[in-house]
Amino acid sequence: MSDTRLLDQGTQPIRFARGWHCLGLASDFADGKPHAIHGFGTKLVVWQGASGELNVLDGYCRHMGGDLTQGEVKGDNIACPFHDWRWGGDGKCKEIPYARRVPLRARTQRYETVVRNGQLLIWHDPEGSAADHDILPPELPDVMTDRYTPWSWNTREINGSHCRELIDNVADMAHFYYVHFAFPTSFRNIFDGHTATQFMESKGRPDTMGGGYGDENSTLKSVATYYGPSYMINWLEVDYKGFITEVILINCHIPTGPDSFLLQYGITVKKPEGLDEKACAYIAERYTESFGDGFLQDVAIWENKVAVQNPLLCEEDGPVYQLRRWYEQFYVDVADIAPEMTDRFEFEVDTTKANEYWHAEVAENLAKRAAAEAAAPADA
Amino acid sequence: MASFVPTSEETLEDLRRYTEDRLVDVACLDCLARVRVKKNSEHQTSVQWSAEARSACQEFVRRDQRPGGRDVHKPCTRLMASIDDAVRAGAVSVGAYDGY
Repeated sequence: MSDTRLLDQGTQPIRFARGWHCLGLASDFADGKPHAIHGFGTKLVVWQGASGELNVLDGYCRHMGGDLTQGEVKGDNIACPFHDWRWGGDGKCKEIPYARRVPLRARTQRYETVVRNGQLLIWHDPEGSAADHDILPPELPDVMTDRYTPWSWNTREINGSHCRELIDNVADMAHFYYVHFAFPTSFRNIFDGHTATQFMESKGRPDTMGGGYGDENSTLKSVATYYGPSYMINWLEVDYKGFITEVILINCHIPTGPDSFLLQYGITVKKPEGLDEKACAYIAERYTESFGDGFLQDVAIWENKVAVQNPLLCEEDGPVYQLRRWYEQFYVDVADIAPEMTDRFEFEVDTTKANEYWHAEVAENLAKRAAAEAAAPADA
Repeated sequence: MASFVPTSEETLEDLRRYTEDRLVDVACLDCLARVRVKKNSEHQTSVQWSAEARSACQEFVRRDQRPGGRDVHKPCTRLMASIDDAVRAGAVSVGAYDGY
């Protein structure tokens, strides 16, 4: 009998989550050309038809498997490069130019689309249900008007990690100190229905190089809510030396395979009053860069860690088991959603002891640095 | 199974321990909501709601009717006050056991 604790790496789910997934900025697809997006174990084709609608279908033609993303938009339809079969946004084959008639069974996988806050969202459900518009992410007032900077949008492929790693961050208080170089001074979670929220207040560490959350001159009030399995809105109030900026960060992803996903993030900044366009654009760029750096800090961890089904927790940790129980609802059939997956759960982390220890460590680091600087030859 | 559901006995026991152990019933002093509460320290609180309690909370009913809905992601202040009362009365013990 051994007391050694074993890592249960579990097994990965054999399906992709049910819910709304963001494919990117709607304007990026609106050029009348087909676009390829890898997702849900396949390739999707996205295009805007002549009537202006954005459409999303499985990327492979049901005739002989031609790659529709290399085809051509003809009218409202996407035409296959192989034999010119024309597919409509409703998933039906509309025309086969060389055939007397279109087979009745010529229907392919289509995805219902919604444009919200300037982004293209699609509904994915392995059970094939109709899209649930009641659980769409909310519209963001004034975003996409001249009161906010335009979305700055970025993507990054993550390989070797299931997207649950990204979700785990919602409940992870201590990684903000170690990975993002900030003191999380207040940390709470609320999971309720299809939403999971993290409330955090943090202050940058003075003993690190800054960047992202770690700038010692800035304090942050952050409210981040996942609306479903893959789309998070993060409302951030950044106080930089007394200058307050409101930032909205979208953090979303599309699963691509059993252990890979495409991370996407977008940033818009409420234009501070009294600043000209150039200054606003500069501020938006800086925040895009720093939160982008923040994601890269996470990625370095994800790409090297293993999956853990049985995390071992201490008192200062957040409610990762409850978070995963919430996340589970998107991976089971609707009929199998258990009450505890959607029942409201609230958790406040006690950050007092952790911050005492961290401040002591930072003070020690600063003292060491000062001693090293004092010891360096003055004429060097 | 099409999901992450743990398969090992030990992991299932961990799941139960972290999500169910030491939860104590607390009734709201202002409405019919009854929740389950755990406190690992003075500043740490877990509140487990049920669907019944969620629909009994008058504060949440009011907030659900407002557009936007960002409010819903905050705790009910009346329930939090009721929990503080229960802690003062000794009905909810404060302290952790080996990390949970």
